[in-house]
Amino acid sequence: MNNKRRMKHISPNSVAADAPARAPTRRALAKQQTRLKVLAAARRLFSEQGYEGATIRDIASAAGMSTGAVFANFTDKSDLFREIMVDDIEALIASMREAAERGRNVEDGLLKMFMAGYTFYKTRLQLARAAFSVSWDKDGGPTLRGLPNNLIMQDLFTETLANAVTRGELSQEAEVKLRSQMLFDTYLSNFPQAIFEGWSLDALQARSRDQIRILLAGARRG
Amino acid sequence: MKADVGPTPPPSPEKGVPPARQSQKEATRQRVITAARELFDTHGYEGTTIREIARHAGVAVGSVFTTFASKGEILSEVMAARLDPLYAEIDRVMPHVRGSTADRLRTMFAVHFEFEARHVRLFLSHIAAAYDWTLAPGARPYGRNQRLQQIIRETLLRGQAEGDVRHDIDLQEVIDLLCSAYAWTYRLVITNDTDAKGMIAVMDRQIGLIADGFAPRD
Repeated sequence: MNNKRRMKHISPNSVAADAPARAPTRRALAKQQTRLKVLAAARRLFSEQGYEGATIRDIASAAGMSTGAVFANFTDKSDLFREIMVDDIEALIASMREAAERGRNVEDGLLKMFMAGYTFYKTRLQLARAAFSVSWDKDGGPTLRGLPNNLIMQDLFTETLANAVTRGELSQEAEVKLRSQMLFDTYLSNFPQAIFEGWSLDALQARSRDQIRILLAGARRG
Repeated sequence: MKADVGPTPPPSPEKGVPPARQSQKEATRQRVITAARELFDTHGYEGTTIREIARHAGVAVGSVFTTFASKGEILSEVMAARLDPLYAEIDRVMPHVRGSTADRLRTMFAVHFEFEARHVRLFLSHIAAAYDWTLAPGARPYGRNQRLQQIIRETLLRGQAEGDVRHDIDLQEVIDLLCSAYAWTYRLVITNDTDAKGMIAVMDRQIGLIADGFAPRD
């Protein structure tokens, strides 16, 4: 790392990053602060300009540091985006799991899970839009879709249905795997309504309830 | 069924533009569409730029912009030129397709997968374009195309007339579920490199599950 060049761009807050090595904890703390600053700036720029539109150069300058300092913390733009997604999905999984537990029955549990997602993303719809854009890309898509956290979220839908089968609420032949995959896809497929047509949470809830009923109908008949 | 189906007609001649320049403009349009189809199919939506399309078509960047407002609009034209003949054919054939409503939907979607799988990256671009940051009003990415929805609606209405689709169901909701199941099935190309046959098998099962939801209650 070229120290001189870095000094020019570094903000006063993170000067500690260049302090001598005998203060390792402070140094580590500063590094962590730098990471958080980059992530916050990246989150804002991805939301404003989309994944392709936001460049590392813009992100660095929004964070008040050099591109070198960004690259010292993240390998590339996709690494930065993935990190943001992982943080968000982790928080979302916690609130979805809690929603599933509050459900009075399988239909209500699923609806609460859908709504936990729409509520979570209500204030970050543009970031969701950037994520969808990446997910349909043949190059960027596999990584984003294959994130362990994304798979955990899908499993949450599967568990919810499997529990309903155990309770006898759904038939043994409920095709849990296919049905939960479709429920997850349906949950995702409502995002464009929220992103582009400004649907309210109430409108999303009404639509989701109908969709869940249609998708559960065959499993109830037994 | 509509009688006016078929390939997209060329834009109507503009007043005051000499015929020679008009046909030159149309030639440029066609070259841009052909070049764009190849590039989107190879590099995807984000990976293709208007500059590259112009270079590949052998026209100036400026003349692409006199014909199209945006990349999204070019892709919409590419898809329309491809899909119009397909939908015309489906419109002609659907009234003769037999079996239950679910089976007719399976046949109709199988034709789609078979058709799109030949240029699957182009179709993925079409879906990705729906989230484009710079999407112009002229663009019609997947989901805002009414044609597929209309075909499904007619199939469901026939099912209601024949008694295997409930009358008290919101048809638009069933249509949306089928359209999103159709689009999301293409994710298998991204995650597993699934081919048309594999996607058709998955879609067949999804249609069966949705059909349970629209079947009349006993």
